[in-house]
Amino acid sequence: MISFRTIWDLALVATLLLGSAFIWMTRPTPGAVTTPFVPESAAAQPAPLVGHPAPEFTLPAVDGTQVALSDLRGQVVLINLWATWCPPCRAEMPAIQQAYERFRDRGFIVLAVNQQEDSANIVKYMNDQRLTFPALLDSDARVGAVYQARVLPSSFFVDRRGIIRAVYRGPMSRGMIEGTIEQLVAETP
Amino acid sequence: MYPIIELGPLNLGSGALLLVIAVFAGHARFERVARQHGGETLERHASRCAPFALAGAAIGARLWYGLFNWDMYSQSPGLFLALRLGDLAWPGALIGGALSGYAYLRLRRTDGAAALLADAAVLALPLAQAIASLGLLLSGEALGAPANLPWAVPLFGVLRHPVALYYLLAALATWGTLAWVARLSPQPGTLAIVYLALQGSALLLLEALRVDALVAGGVRIAQVVGLAMILIALWWKRTQTVPIQ
Repeated sequence: MISFRTIWDLALVATLLLGSAFIWMTRPTPGAVTTPFVPESAAAQPAPLVGHPAPEFTLPAVDGTQVALSDLRGQVVLINLWATWCPPCRAEMPAIQQAYERFRDRGFIVLAVNQQEDSANIVKYMNDQRLTFPALLDSDARVGAVYQARVLPSSFFVDRRGIIRAVYRGPMSRGMIEGTIEQLVAETP
Repeated sequence: MYPIIELGPLNLGSGALLLVIAVFAGHARFERVARQHGGETLERHASRCAPFALAGAAIGARLWYGLFNWDMYSQSPGLFLALRLGDLAWPGALIGGALSGYAYLRLRRTDGAAALLADAAVLALPLAQAIASLGLLLSGEALGAPANLPWAVPLFGVLRHPVALYYLLAALATWGTLAWVARLSPQPGTLAIVYLALQGSALLLLEALRVDALVAGGVRIAQVVGLAMILIALWWKRTQTVPIQ
């Protein structure tokens, strides 16, 4: 005769097997996060995702000028959300500067969107590191929220038409930066 | 999607704001339920234990997030301490909170109250989870897979499973079930086990619909934790079963 314990043992084994099978069957496909399925009509809406127009913003630069993303249409833009206290952000800055110098004349610009720091700190850091691209002040982290910058740094490569073509969350290598820009500056507007 | 709530000059992240409210509401309810179930003594235990459980939950949530985003966190360990409410993971919070709460009770030699306190905690947790899920829904996190359903929500221009809403409903259903079981005057610890089984099922089923889940070894970690929770609950039920002579 089957005891209650045997029934519970069977239930345990069955749950383990069925649960494991379910987890395996519903496992994520690689690359699904950065390149989700986007129907044609949906891709027209601004979103911080690959294939969508980059959400619009206007922010003050550290020198006081206002910079609007829409004014840069026709150029390849790297929107880099960062902070000076963030070590991986600092780590990738030299590579971004080098890419900026290399591709600037071919229509490439960097917008280093700083998250909620004091302008004097940023200027000091940019001068110390000899960074020459514009640093923008996102003092209330509004752009950070729109771009869902849950991770710093977060980088968005925007093509000449204003469409986000690559998103990197976390630090980028020199190869990732220059490879992406090379491909995008080669495209005609 | 309303990622920012404007209160006069303040711009608050809706996800973070509701997470903070969830913690306060859950904490208040935990103490109240403890008082209802075990009088002033249990309430005292609850209010002494809660800060440790909350600290453990916060540490667990961040460690969990960091360990499963190791490529980024290993390069900048400072991120483990950064004040970023988005970089938290629920399974880590649950495990960290339960372990540190229990460790505190053991240390104070009051672990006799552990089962009753666990029951009180799980009667408070669904409220906190429901509020936190609302925060996820407003901030557009817990991104769901694309879906063509009448209740799908548009997010980034694509109709998607409202995973945060599913979690909210799961929390409310868990709450209702636990309130019903609590009326049957079960043995101490039973509510915690029922919660474990329900929460485990929710994680196992709902995480499958997320596209931003933490992944290791090709599978979603939260689903593995969910399955483990169901198995622990079943195992506990098995040990309670008296063998037939």
